[in-house]
Amino acid sequence: MPVVSVRLVVRTLSELCITVGTLIVLFVVYVLYWTGVKADSAADSQISALHHQWARTPAASAPQRSDPPAPAPYTGGKSFAVMYIPRLGKDWHKPVLEGIGVKDLQKGLGHYATTTRLGQPGNFSVAGHRRTYGDPFKDFPELRPGDAVVLTDGTTWFTYRLDNKPYRTVPSDIGVIDPVPAKSPFRSPGRYLTLTTCDPEWGSSHRLIAWGHLDSTRPVAQGKPQALTG
Amino acid sequence: MYGWIWRHLPGNAWVRAFTSLVLVLAIVYVLFQYIFPWAEPLLPFNDVTVDQGRGATR
Repeated sequence: MPVVSVRLVVRTLSELCITVGTLIVLFVVYVLYWTGVKADSAADSQISALHHQWARTPAASAPQRSDPPAPAPYTGGKSFAVMYIPRLGKDWHKPVLEGIGVKDLQKGLGHYATTTRLGQPGNFSVAGHRRTYGDPFKDFPELRPGDAVVLTDGTTWFTYRLDNKPYRTVPSDIGVIDPVPAKSPFRSPGRYLTLTTCDPEWGSSHRLIAWGHLDSTRPVAQGKPQALTG
Repeated sequence: MYGWIWRHLPGNAWVRAFTSLVLVLAIVYVLFQYIFPWAEPLLPFNDVTVDQGRGATR
């Protein structure tokens, strides 16, 4: 009977459309909300694991010296530091993991394994999500020269100061994480910091870059640096 | 499609409604736990690094 089969086709088609619509709504909920929930709990567990690890190997016994001790080699996929950027929020702090793989960036910020280690001569470079997974670098364009980027590896507080407004470039511009990036304000080798994220917020056509230099270091035993307490 | 499933579920209307709810929750769980985490990195929100060969950095 043609009427019945037409009805069946229309009904099945409508049901399929509703199903696909529901799937899309669920996926949007996942991307906008659930990745953030997952990333926040992953970041929290990374940070508490770090604090646990630091508590077991007390750094306070290290004698006073002007130069911070060289950090131990980092393990891929493991967090080794916590980053604070007061400009992005008083409570903004994220773990920094070694590596920039998908899994690393789902738990926190990722350190480009090819770049130097914290506080060492060279360019300590870190990537982070602009959107999804807790939106760590959502307010990246708000960063300004002079802003503090503070990191701790459990032994030392490293205070970097930014030197440029976020610089927009293309993804293939790998020179931005060079030891002395050509487009940066720096002209001679030093202890630098590079932050990278994507631009526009939900896109991938460009990258935003912020550069900074190491301003000061301070043993953890002496308490938080002024950039965080002030 | 949904009518067909409903007709093939066992029990009375209440049991069927309960089974349907469990099925829906199971599907949502599988989506959030397995399907979406697989699909999401294929979208461009993850491209936050400067390129060093797409396979490694996305």
